[in-house]
Amino acid sequence: MTTQRTLAGVHDLELVALGRTGDRAAFGELVRRHGSAVRALVRRMGADAAAADDVAQDAFLSAFEQIAEFRGEGAFRTWVSRIAARLYARRWRREARAGLLAEGTDADDPSRALGADARIDLDDALKALSDPERICVSLCYGVGLSHAEAAVALNAPLGTVKSHVKRGLDKLRSRLSPDGDGGRRRQVGG
Amino acid sequence: MAETSFEFRLERMFAEAPPAPDADLFTLQVLERLDRGWNARRLLIGAMGVLGGLIGGYEILSTGVTGQVTGYFGQANDFLARHVAASVSGALAPGGIYVDVQAIWLAGALLVVATGFGLARLVREI
Repeated sequence: MTTQRTLAGVHDLELVALGRTGDRAAFGELVRRHGSAVRALVRRMGADAAAADDVAQDAFLSAFEQIAEFRGEGAFRTWVSRIAARLYARRWRREARAGLLAEGTDADDPSRALGADARIDLDDALKALSDPERICVSLCYGVGLSHAEAAVALNAPLGTVKSHVKRGLDKLRSRLSPDGDGGRRRQVGG
Repeated sequence: MAETSFEFRLERMFAEAPPAPDADLFTLQVLERLDRGWNARRLLIGAMGVLGGLIGGYEILSTGVTGQVTGYFGQANDFLARHVAASVSGALAPGGIYVDVQAIWLAGALLVVATGFGLARLVREI
């Protein structure tokens, strides 16, 4: 059994290979590395902190079960994030919030508007979106699903997903642009 | 072009996630849940093993092998087994319910299996 110290410098793919052999320490290192990102993604999709942790944990457990299916063609983080996003989408549907996917919902709810002096970053900007817009945008730009894949994940018509994504993008653009509502935009690294 | 640029920027923003202060706790919780799953499986496999053992034991007993084995052990051993059976009957069922010798052997075998499981678990925990 490998120790956490020796695993710190090991590449994700090697950790996955160790995880395939049942090495829980190696899988734990993957969770430690990517847990924050997965939890943040689910929160950005609209989950509260507790629900986000639940979904992220389920996603990692599911990832461990299916680890043999991970071929290393993409990043491990992307793979497990997609699992988490789909799990949250399913949960969201189950909680009967999917009715919100209908057109013309609370997209323009003024209570979602940000204060002018609010610090504008992605997390804040996402709060200006309705739940359906938020989850659709997160699925497409957070984990890179196509509109069609997002529609399948949400069990919603493709056209509805597209329109939610478009409206969500418009709102985010206005919030995140230098001359948007918040006035200040977050510097993006790189 | 501007649209693509914004979308690319949005993807990068989504990819950025500050490390959570309780990342280690989260990791621990995931591993604990993983352990729980494994323990449940071990329990299930163990239960299936015991069931298989019981069925196997029943099959062996029903073929009369025990009678031959008892014969090999001789009368002294038989006397001992009957003595144990009588003692157990007296202790467990003072009302006079008969406890079969074979049941005693089977219970002993199960005790050995259970002890094995217990030891294996203890070693794993240590």
